[in-house]
Amino acid sequence: MTAGTLQITPRRTKLHRLFAYRFALLAGPGALFIMIALLLPLLSIVVFSFWRTESYELYADWNLDNYRVMLTEPAYRVFFLRSFFMALAVTLACLVISWPVAYFIAKHGGRYRLLLVLLLAAPFFTGVILRIAALQGLFGPIGLINMTLTEIGLPPIQVLMYTPLAAGIGLVYLYVPFMITAIYLSVINFNFELLEVAKINGAKPWRAFIEITWPLNWIGTAIGLVVVFIPCLASAVTQRFLGGTQSSSFGMSLAQQFGETGTWALGSAMGVALFVSSIVAIVLIGRSINLKRSGFTGVINP
Amino acid sequence: MIAGKHKTLKPAVLAMGLVLAAVYVFLYAPIFYVIYTSFSADIVWPFPPHFSAQSYGDLFASSLYGDALANSITLALGSAVLSTVLAAAGAIGILRYRSRWRGFAMFMFLAPLFVAELLIGISTLAFNARVLGLPGNLYSAMAANAVPGTSFAFLIILAQLVRYDWNMDDAAMVFGAGPFRSFIEITLPTIWPSLFGAFLISFILAFNNLEISFYNLGAIPTLPAVAWGSLRFGLGPELFALATLVNGAVFFIFAVMYILMRYRIVSFGYRGP
Repeated sequence: MTAGTLQITPRRTKLHRLFAYRFALLAGPGALFIMIALLLPLLSIVVFSFWRTESYELYADWNLDNYRVMLTEPAYRVFFLRSFFMALAVTLACLVISWPVAYFIAKHGGRYRLLLVLLLAAPFFTGVILRIAALQGLFGPIGLINMTLTEIGLPPIQVLMYTPLAAGIGLVYLYVPFMITAIYLSVINFNFELLEVAKINGAKPWRAFIEITWPLNWIGTAIGLVVVFIPCLASAVTQRFLGGTQSSSFGMSLAQQFGETGTWALGSAMGVALFVSSIVAIVLIGRSINLKRSGFTGVINP
Repeated sequence: MIAGKHKTLKPAVLAMGLVLAAVYVFLYAPIFYVIYTSFSADIVWPFPPHFSAQSYGDLFASSLYGDALANSITLALGSAVLSTVLAAAGAIGILRYRSRWRGFAMFMFLAPLFVAELLIGISTLAFNARVLGLPGNLYSAMAANAVPGTSFAFLIILAQLVRYDWNMDDAAMVFGAGPFRSFIEITLPTIWPSLFGAFLISFILAFNNLEISFYNLGAIPTLPAVAWGSLRFGLGPELFALATLVNGAVFFIFAVMYILMRYRIVSFGYRGP
């Protein structure tokens, strides 16, 4: 970089222009792809949410009916609150499990670190459906745990049979690898020598964690929180097959509008509501990130 | 080894190791249940075991699962190649070259992480069907799956590239290598583990995606779609057999990786002692 600043002006501008061109050539296609494949579809459901559906057809008469139905129909409010608290509980459970795991792999995994992390991702090769079916086979009324209990003369564990708790365990099962990975990616870039400095200055391990490790890795943790909270808020399949009737979620109801009932306009409004709540969650968590305090120097100002 | 270099194992380290072990048990219990059940005569209550290879016979006799597997692999390969190429180029561009668009590009690459897959699925369906007038097909499912895939790949590659020393490339260019040659000979050998990791993760995500693929595939069967269909009418034992074969392949690859690391033939980016 210092060599560059010593160049005479005209050449430097030329070089600069070339670099800007290279940036567009490298980062442009990806950014453009996401704009087309993510933003345009999202924009289209915003538009459709103000339209009307009648017998599986969309009609472009602009109105607010879908939002009115969504806000006044008590079922949607119940579904939404249920999904919200479920997502909150699952995210916190994932946070508590993920930190020790991510920290252990990053600090003590040695040259097997990558393998240990990939082992967390490998269960994903067995699709969501089969893993949920297997969880049902372990927890369900005729699952391994409860049948074994019955076999040896004990009552089955009622809370594992088609309850919100069972759905929660299923969601933690599906999303905990995401949070571990987010925290792990942050901790491997963390300078552990800072902890030695804290130790020399008399800090006990726990205090060093609270004052150094946690705040310096908060950005990774925050990304983990968001990456778990958002899919949980929208989750449908897990509740449907593990949660029983007390767990019907907003996502289930949303999927139904695009499937069975074919009310795409109302479904779009529900999608917009989901998207807006995700944005609110991201903003709330994002506000807690102070890039300078989190020691994040690598990308914004190299 | 992991614990070998510590003479006395500290309680905190031991506790964290135990949590890690518990997480592995939790994550793999359903997988082993699937593997165990695939060899059993009865998939609803497979205890005590009555071993049978019936489900494997049915699996190979049926063409549906072969087609579904082939479609899943095609979908995942296309999606993962797209994701890895876009993300690698993006990460290099953003880290190496200054531009006032850098923040915006970064935002675009990370945005899909913060959109629920269900929402990506239904909005692409709505857009493709009502705006473009396209029916569901393998290519739109590929593109839709590559949206979150690109974000995950980008994060993985970025995590390693942040520590990459670009002076090495500049040095190569001083000695007359073009940008392309310096990439092939200098950058690629150093960053390939993260490209491999990014490819693998985006492949896995697309291979088993239900929520995005379901809305974008139309009537084309993939493994998750077949599983979804059969779950409502009683899960086919063939699916357990197929999952077992897939897991067998994955465990085999991991065993090979372990041996390569154990005898230090490949380090997968680890530069420690």
